[in-house]
Amino acid sequence: MEQTAVDTIADGIERQLDPRWIPCQRLVALIPTFIVAALSFVFMLTFWAGSGILLLGVLLLPVWVVLMAAFTWQLQRWPAIAYRFSTYRIDDAGIQIRRGVYWRTVTSVPRSRVQHTDVSQGPIERRFGLGTLVIYTAGTAHSKVSLSGLDYDVARRIRTHLLPDAQSDAV
Amino acid sequence: MPSEHRLHPSSILFALAGSLKAFALPALLLVMTSGRSSRAPEMGPPGFGPARWMNRWMPGDFEIANWQFWLLLFLIPATIAAIMRYFSFRLRYEGTELVIRSGIFFRNERHVPYTRIQNLDAVRNVVHRLLGVTEVRVETGGGETPEARISVLHETVFEEMRRRIFEGRAAVTGTNAATIEESAPATPAPESHTLLYLPLRELFLHGVLENRGMLLVAAGYGVLWEAGLFQRVWDRVANGWYGPGLVRDTIRRIATGEPLPWGQIAVLLVGIVGLLVLVRVLSMIYSALRLYEFRLSRIGEDLRTEYGLLTRVTATIPLRRVQTVTIRQAPLQRLVKRQSVRVETAGSEGAPEDGPKRPREWLAPIVRASAVPTLVREVLPGFDLALLDWQPLHPRAFRRAVKPALLLGAVIALPSILVFGWRAIPLLPIALAWMTLATWQHVRRMRWAVTDDAIAFRSGWLWQHLTVAPVVKIQTVECTETPFDRRTMMARVRIDTAGGRELAHGVAIPYLARETAHALYARLSTQAAHTTFRW
Repeated sequence: MEQTAVDTIADGIERQLDPRWIPCQRLVALIPTFIVAALSFVFMLTFWAGSGILLLGVLLLPVWVVLMAAFTWQLQRWPAIAYRFSTYRIDDAGIQIRRGVYWRTVTSVPRSRVQHTDVSQGPIERRFGLGTLVIYTAGTAHSKVSLSGLDYDVARRIRTHLLPDAQSDAV
Repeated sequence: MPSEHRLHPSSILFALAGSLKAFALPALLLVMTSGRSSRAPEMGPPGFGPARWMNRWMPGDFEIANWQFWLLLFLIPATIAAIMRYFSFRLRYEGTELVIRSGIFFRNERHVPYTRIQNLDAVRNVVHRLLGVTEVRVETGGGETPEARISVLHETVFEEMRRRIFEGRAAVTGTNAATIEESAPATPAPESHTLLYLPLRELFLHGVLENRGMLLVAAGYGVLWEAGLFQRVWDRVANGWYGPGLVRDTIRRIATGEPLPWGQIAVLLVGIVGLLVLVRVLSMIYSALRLYEFRLSRIGEDLRTEYGLLTRVTATIPLRRVQTVTIRQAPLQRLVKRQSVRVETAGSEGAPEDGPKRPREWLAPIVRASAVPTLVREVLPGFDLALLDWQPLHPRAFRRAVKPALLLGAVIALPSILVFGWRAIPLLPIALAWMTLATWQHVRRMRWAVTDDAIAFRSGWLWQHLTVAPVVKIQTVECTETPFDRRTMMARVRIDTAGGRELAHGVAIPYLARETAHALYARLSTQAAHTTFRW
């Protein structure tokens, strides 16, 4: 059973991330949204109080609302855009990860170079049943290649596939 | 074969010296500089508590203030630790691994398989050599610090360790294990031949080219400053040597815009030239001391470098641990047709606490350019630099690269115009012209080549670098398109290897045609996937 599952993963087909990644990332994006909104609101209030001009608040408040709305909207639509440009492909040779909207990067990690792997799951990811696969290589700049937005079980299956064979470990 | 070895008894001394160096040296300087101040004689011993007692106990020039006493007290745990380490340390060779046992309360037994050992380095300074001992560093892959740092072993113990590790490794890999094991007891080292030996002449040349003299000057400055002598020396330089206050007078005249007399200019020029010459001479001496009797030899499947007059360093690098080979040529080196060759291994690269000398030197700090292909062939068997089919970048790479360069030139030049006014306007065309020239030369000289078992990349105009990475050592392959790349249908390919230091020259090829980049990416990842990485 395990073997067939592995076979279906390592088919060399370019795959999208799990669609649940989009709402998950939107939820994650709310955290910086709240922080930025709160900080800028406090900053605006102190600036207004410091200036002593009553009318300034009437002008500043709509500007703040518009800016925050644009910021929130951007952060909320970004996961859907990033989703379109994030794919991965697994075959017998290894894994290839493609990501980036403006700076587009394809990273290839041969299976024989995988030192060890992690499958991690944060509290928000757990709500959505997602997991993050982290692949460690012996490299320097990319000694850690991570792929988030996988179904938790899929991530574990990929891990099983990528784990080095027993004979290749003998150096 | 439970033949256990212990540390040499002098290791306690070395451990103490190490902790003294770490924090008591500045304290000692302070004791010497501050403790000598004369006090009114009617006062009793200074300090209070234990320091007062200590001072009564050892009267003399040096009085110990309270904090200094506590500082000395801190040495006691270090001493106890050193003694405990000496008594608890055991080194043992088992079939395929080195076993190091240490600790009295927290016992630790570390097993290091011979095959995982990246480097086996020996460092011997003057004291080590007088006592006939050596400090040993055993490095395995990964990790910032050496896997085991053994300070200090008797020389014969180290020789046996080296022999056993090589034997054990040969036995595991199965490559002519029988022959080595037969010959091992008689001759510890298998057949060895010298790849590079640097006579004194080359070392002096290296010193001139590298100009490490400023390092010595800076170190001297630091010591003078520390000892409080600097003020005195400076006063003498400024006031005493060339008549009354030459330096001060010059600075004053330049500051007020007065013309300088010719004689003064001549003296200053001679002084500056003399200083430059002195720095180079210092650099030559430094180079000769540090790399004295530099010898790079190949012993079986390992490279060994030995160098140093005061501190003799012996570093062993197994050939198959070599991750990348980088050849460098600086402008001055080009004049005399010399190059430097460095290899990266996956072991730790000079962790800060490794002491004053970095354990890993250049594989060849200076070597004739004509001898480099032979050397590279020894380090990467089957790889011939001369046979490479060098490929240029995209034909429009210059047009793509010059735009950010011009922008950078403008960003640097414009603020100076704002600061210095219209007189700085010529700076802008000069900066732009320079950036254009530099980009042109840079892009024109960038080349890459790929063979069935390696990829090579060379770049640089004044400082030229060439890096070769065997396909077996490629960890990940990456192909990136920036927004600017996409507009011009270009992409860049970069490979990651183990042991490549940050900021070091690596294989990162920019400005490739998109199809070329994708083909190269696919080729490298397929090649890498079909080989097995061995540490």
